[in-house]
Amino acid sequence: MLSLLARPRSSRGFRAVINCVAASRPSSSDLPPRGGPGPAERRPPRAGPPVRVVPRRSFGSAPAAPGCWRCGQSHAERPAFFCSSCRAVQPPDGSASLFQVLGCNHSFTLDTQQLQKRYLQLQRTLHPDNFSQKTKEEQEYSEHQSALLNRAYRTLLKPLSRGLYMLELEGMPIEEGTDSTADPSFLMQLMELNEAVEEALTPEEANRIGQDTKVKLKELTAQIDDALGKGEHQAAKALLIQMKYFANIEEKVKEQLDKLM
Amino acid sequence: MAMFCLQSCASPLVLFGRRLFTPRVITHCSYHKKVVDHYENPRNVGSLDKNDQNVGTGLVGAPACGDVMKLQIQVDDSGKIVDARFKTFGCGSAIASSSLATEWVKGKSVSWAYDDQNKDMSLGVDEALKIKNTDIAKELCLPPVKLHCSMLAEDAIKAALSDYRFKQRDKQDNGVKASI
Repeated sequence: MLSLLARPRSSRGFRAVINCVAASRPSSSDLPPRGGPGPAERRPPRAGPPVRVVPRRSFGSAPAAPGCWRCGQSHAERPAFFCSSCRAVQPPDGSASLFQVLGCNHSFTLDTQQLQKRYLQLQRTLHPDNFSQKTKEEQEYSEHQSALLNRAYRTLLKPLSRGLYMLELEGMPIEEGTDSTADPSFLMQLMELNEAVEEALTPEEANRIGQDTKVKLKELTAQIDDALGKGEHQAAKALLIQMKYFANIEEKVKEQLDKLM
Repeated sequence: MAMFCLQSCASPLVLFGRRLFTPRVITHCSYHKKVVDHYENPRNVGSLDKNDQNVGTGLVGAPACGDVMKLQIQVDDSGKIVDARFKTFGCGSAIASSSLATEWVKGKSVSWAYDDQNKDMSLGVDEALKIKNTDIAKELCLPPVKLHCSMLAEDAIKAALSDYRFKQRDKQDNGVKASI
């Protein structure tokens, strides 16, 4: 789990809650749809029941109303975290991609330090800790926003999850189930690698396989970057599938090292 | 073993004098004891000689979770599966599914006939092919999210049978050539 900023002002409670929020928060897509907040007098009358629009990848909430739920002021930019006029916290914008949420370019190459900086910046303002004295509505919105930020950060931080997310946005998720087109010699290679990790008797042996896997993953990252940059999504998908297998091997190496040390 | 709970965040937030959640039912995602049994006491882990003419090797992968599974069968001259081995790298459900598959596949028959007219192997009734992923999932009480693991095991059986039949066809062809 990511380690949070150690600001002197930050209470133990903040850190505990951040970890709690990050680790145990149900994803905001599991939460009931929010067609809009608050009692009727606070928002403009609707023509009918809230329509749940689900774009290719949404976060469960209906796309946010065009204006602030409290004062009705239209949002200056999207996604809007706070109203530009009354500063009330807003519910997550279901039509925004995770890239937009964390203010990144929609591309595979990402400056992860910038990403982390932006993530922490946003969490500092949106975390439920800051809303403990506010209305129930605002607390709920801050929870949803905070959970969304965690999910966005987790997804965009690593190349594998980032690439898979980009494919999802293109409507090309990796389906569950057996891959009947898999190259048998590639699968055999994976089997042998996995077996080698399992049978490694010394940390050095395991580390060697780990290093080779890291090199392979780096190669794949560069190839995926190239493919996605050219819009070659099928090629990127095949490469991401390979990356998934090698990422699993990397995990196994770590587990084996734990056992051997 | 993956085991995670969703908990109410009440305790650390008591510091702030407010509960942000009403207490919720804790959801456990844990493996059924049958899956745990196969994981801790796997049956038939290992390898058979893939170059043996009477061994069929099925190698399958599941890209979404990155699981790889190898299932091998040894068939005797009467067409009965006398031994089976597996090796699976993946989650507990995938390991249990393949372990169970090797148990079930032993003793089953592999039958086919050589079609003289079409010069091809025509599929007979494979008892082994009758093993369905739904039966595996039911036996192991797999949750819906893990059904694809049992499918992977069924596909591994099919792949092993297919490989075996390929080898037998080659053997037959070589036999025919030799007799010319």
